[in-house]
Amino acid sequence: MSAVYDLIRYAQLRHRAFTEVVDRLDDGKFHFSAKDNLCADGFQARAGSAVLDGYRPPFDATPIQKMKEVGGQLVGKTTMDEFGFGTFSTNSAHGVPLNPFDLERSCGGSSGGAGAAACLIPGHIALGVSTGGSISGPASFCGVVGLTPTYGRVSRHGLIDYGNSLDKVGLLARSASLIAKHFRTIAGPDPKDPTSCAQPALPEKGKMPRSLAVPKEALQNLDPAVRSSFHDALARFKDIGVEVREVSMPSLRFALPAYYILATSEASTNLARYCGMRFGRREEELNQHFNDFFTGVRSESFGDEAKRRILLGTFCRMVGFRSRYYLKSLAVRQLLIEDYRTIFRDHDAVVTPTMPFVAPRFEDISRMKPLEMYGADVLTVPPNLTGMPHVSLPCAYVQGLPVGMQLVADHWKELDLLEAALAWEKAFEYRFPEVSP
Amino acid sequence: MDRETIARVAKVARLNLTEDEMERYAKDLDDILNSFSVLDEAPAGESYSFNPIPVVDVLREDEPAQDLDPQVLRNQMGAYEDYVRGPRLS
Repeated sequence: MSAVYDLIRYAQLRHRAFTEVVDRLDDGKFHFSAKDNLCADGFQARAGSAVLDGYRPPFDATPIQKMKEVGGQLVGKTTMDEFGFGTFSTNSAHGVPLNPFDLERSCGGSSGGAGAAACLIPGHIALGVSTGGSISGPASFCGVVGLTPTYGRVSRHGLIDYGNSLDKVGLLARSASLIAKHFRTIAGPDPKDPTSCAQPALPEKGKMPRSLAVPKEALQNLDPAVRSSFHDALARFKDIGVEVREVSMPSLRFALPAYYILATSEASTNLARYCGMRFGRREEELNQHFNDFFTGVRSESFGDEAKRRILLGTFCRMVGFRSRYYLKSLAVRQLLIEDYRTIFRDHDAVVTPTMPFVAPRFEDISRMKPLEMYGADVLTVPPNLTGMPHVSLPCAYVQGLPVGMQLVADHWKELDLLEAALAWEKAFEYRFPEVSP
Repeated sequence: MDRETIARVAKVARLNLTEDEMERYAKDLDDILNSFSVLDEAPAGESYSFNPIPVVDVLREDEPAQDLDPQVLRNQMGAYEDYVRGPRLS
């Protein structure tokens, strides 16, 4: 077996990055993985949920199909929070991935396995999915680059939905150059996903951002080490000729509640399809009333966080509450888009830390209340809610753990972000853990 | 959130909750929704969209096509002689 295959197995066995891997690598192909909510022929697609145990889709999701068409081999499916419901990948029915830098810490979520695989396997490209920060978060905690494209840039045909107005397929890898190469492969319109058909063509080349805006509201409640590392990173950007200015974006405080209301409202309807008949787990006791059958399968198979989000989303859509929560959140999304656009009149991108802290220990996560966990997404939610492209880059190491920073650009300007990422990589050297399979 | 409300939400969501779960989720949803009340301070926008970008209709010629073998899909659903098996409707 090859050294790469040994690393894949190491990532699976020691760090639980994969739910399933291939038996061998094909000659002459590059290796990539897919988050377990992307359908792939030959693999189970369970999206971290017991309700989908045994589901084997007979087709490839469009991004997977496109990667295969240019010579890629799908080598495994990566672990994730159930349906993407989590910030730390601890809400999974199929194993919790362990951080490449410290086995007692989280990889981030919900594309935690993708973050670990991208970090542990040189040259590996991981397809991730982000709804509220599920690419940026793991990229930050695992010390890799994570690109979340504009909403609608990459086809979602074959993606197991979480929130239809929020889900985006993106990439994680050790370098921006690897991501730049494969982003062109997966981007583009696909008639099987109408939301991908309104996009402008990718330009030949991106434009290097020359002016970055830092919203002061995003710098509240940060771990002091993250704050200090971020300011050092801003100084380094200035050293390479990029202007950095502080701005104000008061509407940021509305982003987290608006996101969670929209995301859970959409999830609560999407998950209605899991009824024990069509996909995955099948209830064999058919001599029941339909409602009892349906309710029984869902109650036994969904995890704790999935139930919490279904309940929250169902409540926010109920008669009497819809205007206050759901419709208000749609209006807040529009307000945030307009506020980002106002900043982009004078600046090329917005930059913040990616996460308010470094990868937490599992014992600390187990003591967090749900609201505290949601609060950890405060910096990744605004670009996700508004569909703006963003990239997370390692920008420092604190006690051996990576710190991420996140750049956000206007819709469709992913290549500008990648130009910034490539320039950053010339000024800052990334570190990866020593691995001995 | 009182017991009656959480029970009603769970029924709509097709979830059976134990008494302990009912109490725990009611408390969690209370905490979450109290925190989200900051939204009441957000300006009431006149315009909104269901997607963050404009979405266009995608039309194609109405020609018969078959992407997937229906038998493969029936197998996934544990079909019996081409019938999908399910529970009683009444």
